[in-house]
Amino acid sequence: MNDTTQSSDLTVNLGAAFEASPNPYLLLTPDLRIAEFNQAYVDVTGARRSEVIGQLLFAAFDSGPGTEAPENVRQVRASLEKARDTRQRDHLAVVRYSMPKTLPDGSEAFVERIWSATHTPILNDAGEVVLLLQHTMDVTDLSPNIQPDEPTTALDAIIGGSVLRRAQSVQEDNRRLETERNRLVEMFMQAPGFVAILSGPEHRFQMHNDAYSQLIGHRDIAGKSLRDALPELEGQGFYEFLDEVFATGEPYEGRESVAQLQRTPDGPLETVYLNFIYQPIRDGAGAVVGIFVQGHEITDNVLAAQRQKLMIDELNHRVKNTLATVQSIAIQTARSNTDPAGFAETFQSRIMALSHTHNLLTQSHWEGADLRAILEHETEAYGHTRISLNGPPVSLEPAIVLSLGMIFHELATNAAKYGALHTPEGRILIDWALADQRAPKLKLSWREMGGPKVTAPDRRGFGSRLIERNIRHDLAGEIDLVYAPDGLIAELTVPLDRTASR
Amino acid sequence: MTQPLSGRRVLVVEDESLVAMLLETILEDMDCIPVGPASNIDDGEALARDTENLDAALLDVNVAGRQVFPVAEVLKARGVPFVFSTGYGEGGLPEEWRGQPTIQKPFTEAAIRDALMKAMGVAQA
Repeated sequence: MNDTTQSSDLTVNLGAAFEASPNPYLLLTPDLRIAEFNQAYVDVTGARRSEVIGQLLFAAFDSGPGTEAPENVRQVRASLEKARDTRQRDHLAVVRYSMPKTLPDGSEAFVERIWSATHTPILNDAGEVVLLLQHTMDVTDLSPNIQPDEPTTALDAIIGGSVLRRAQSVQEDNRRLETERNRLVEMFMQAPGFVAILSGPEHRFQMHNDAYSQLIGHRDIAGKSLRDALPELEGQGFYEFLDEVFATGEPYEGRESVAQLQRTPDGPLETVYLNFIYQPIRDGAGAVVGIFVQGHEITDNVLAAQRQKLMIDELNHRVKNTLATVQSIAIQTARSNTDPAGFAETFQSRIMALSHTHNLLTQSHWEGADLRAILEHETEAYGHTRISLNGPPVSLEPAIVLSLGMIFHELATNAAKYGALHTPEGRILIDWALADQRAPKLKLSWREMGGPKVTAPDRRGFGSRLIERNIRHDLAGEIDLVYAPDGLIAELTVPLDRTASR
Repeated sequence: MTQPLSGRRVLVVEDESLVAMLLETILEDMDCIPVGPASNIDDGEALARDTENLDAALLDVNVAGRQVFPVAEVLKARGVPFVFSTGYGEGGLPEEWRGQPTIQKPFTEAAIRDALMKAMGVAQA
C-alpha cells in the first residue's frame, strides 16, 4: 500500500479501511505473487498469512485436484493478466474455484465454490501497474440452482439461480468471444490477402496484417493517417475513394487498379495491380467510423495476361503472314506449272523448304541461325562431296534466315533441274566472307561447274524472280545472276545491320 | 468481263516480297498498275508523296516492325484513297483509323477489289 499512497496518515487510514472492509480483498504483485489480503479474505478462504504471503497465487490456491481445476486456474489467470496488460479493470462474473476446507470430522477436503471476481490494476504516477487488486465474492449460496436442478420458486429463479445463471452464461459468452476474437485476429494477421482497418475521417491505420506490410514495404504506419503513412499515393485517386466511402457509407471496389507504391526505402515507385474493396465500418448508431480495406495484389497475373495478349497478337500476325506467303507461293507456282503433278511437286518442295527454315529457327528459339547450317540444310539432299562450303561462322537474324532459306532453296532446285546438280559430275562452290566492319555485309558467291552448258533462260521464272525480289526487297541487298556457259554464278551482297539499312 | 479498276495506279507497301508479289499479281489480274512495292516506311512515304497520278494504295499495317500510319497520313493529305492489309483484322487498328477499308491476310482477289472500290468510291459494275 505504501507504493500507492503518499501520506503516511492516509496509509494508516486506508490500511485500516482495507482490513475492516467486509469485502474480501487480495493484493497481488504484477508477477501474481500474493502481497496482501484483508480479514474478510481470510474468512472466506481460510488462508493463513504466514503460509501464503509472497507465494505465487496459483501455488497457494491451486483449485485442488479436480479435473476442472486447470481450467478454473486458467480463467482466473487470464483475467488477472488481462487487467495487468491492458491496465483496465476486468470482471470475471462467475468462476468455479475449489478451496481446502476442514470438514466436521477433522479431515481436510477441497470444496468447490462459485466466485465472482473483479481484478483492478493499481498504477503508479508513471502509469505502470504496481499491484493488482482482486475483489472476490463467494456466490455459491446465491446459486442453489446453478447445478442443473430446477428452481424451487419463481422468486428463487429471479433473485438467485437465474441471475447467476445469466451471469455465468455471459461469462461463458465472453470467454467464447475472446477465443473467437483471438482466432479472428490470428486469421486476419496471417491472411494471404492484405487487410487493414482505417479509423476516422483521416483514415488512421488501426490495424494491418503482414500482407499489407509487405505491400507497402514494411513501413511503420500504425496510428498514422493514410496521407502521412503513404504519401506517394497523392494524385492516384485512392485518398479520394476512401474519403468518398467515409462520407457516403457506400463501399468501393477496385478491380485491376494500378498503384505506384514505394516498396523499399528511398527506392523507386513500383507499379502494382490490385483488386480490393473498401468497406465502411459503422458504429452501433449506424454512423461510419472507419473503413475495412481488404484485397490482394494481382500484378503477376495482370502482367502475365498482358504478355499473353501480346503473344497471341504476334502469333496471329505471323500465322496470317505465313498463310499469305503460302498463298503467294501456291498462286505463283501454279502459274509457272501447267500440269498438276509438276505443280504439286514444286509447291510441296517450296513449302518444305519454308518449313525446314522454321525448324532451324525453332532450334534456337527464334534467335537466329548460322549461315553454314542454312546452306547445309538446303543442299544436303545432293551429297556433301558435290557442295563445297567455305566461309567463317555468320550468325543471322530470323528475317534474314527465312529469306536466305528460300533463296538457297530456289538456287539448289534450279541447279538440280538445269545446272550443276543435273549431272553426276557437277559441283557447286559456295564461298562467303564478311565485309565492312562498321556496316557489316555478307558477300556470298555461288558458283556452279561441271553441269550442262548454260544458256540464259528466255523468260524469268518465279524462282529467279523470287530470288531477286527477296534479296532487294526483303534484305535490301544486291544480287548478280550470271549465266556463264560453264555454270551459273550468283553473287550476293546482304547488309546484316538491317536497322541501319532501312 | 470489264475490269472496274482498269488502268488504276495502286501503291503497294508490304515488307515481305512473297506477299508483295502476290499483291502485284492480283492487281495485274485486275488490270491495275502496281506502284512500288515499298518494303519499308521511308520508301512508302516517298512513293506516296512523289508518285504522280496515284489512284489508291494497299498498306500493310506492320512493315518491318514499324506501323504504316505515317504513309497513311501522307495519302490522306493528298486525298488518295487507301486500304489497310493486316493479320490482326480491323480490331488491330488504332481508334483514328477504324472504319478505313481493311483486308485480312491471306487475301482473295474479290476482297482486294471490293475494298479498293469501297475506298475509291467506285460503284460495283
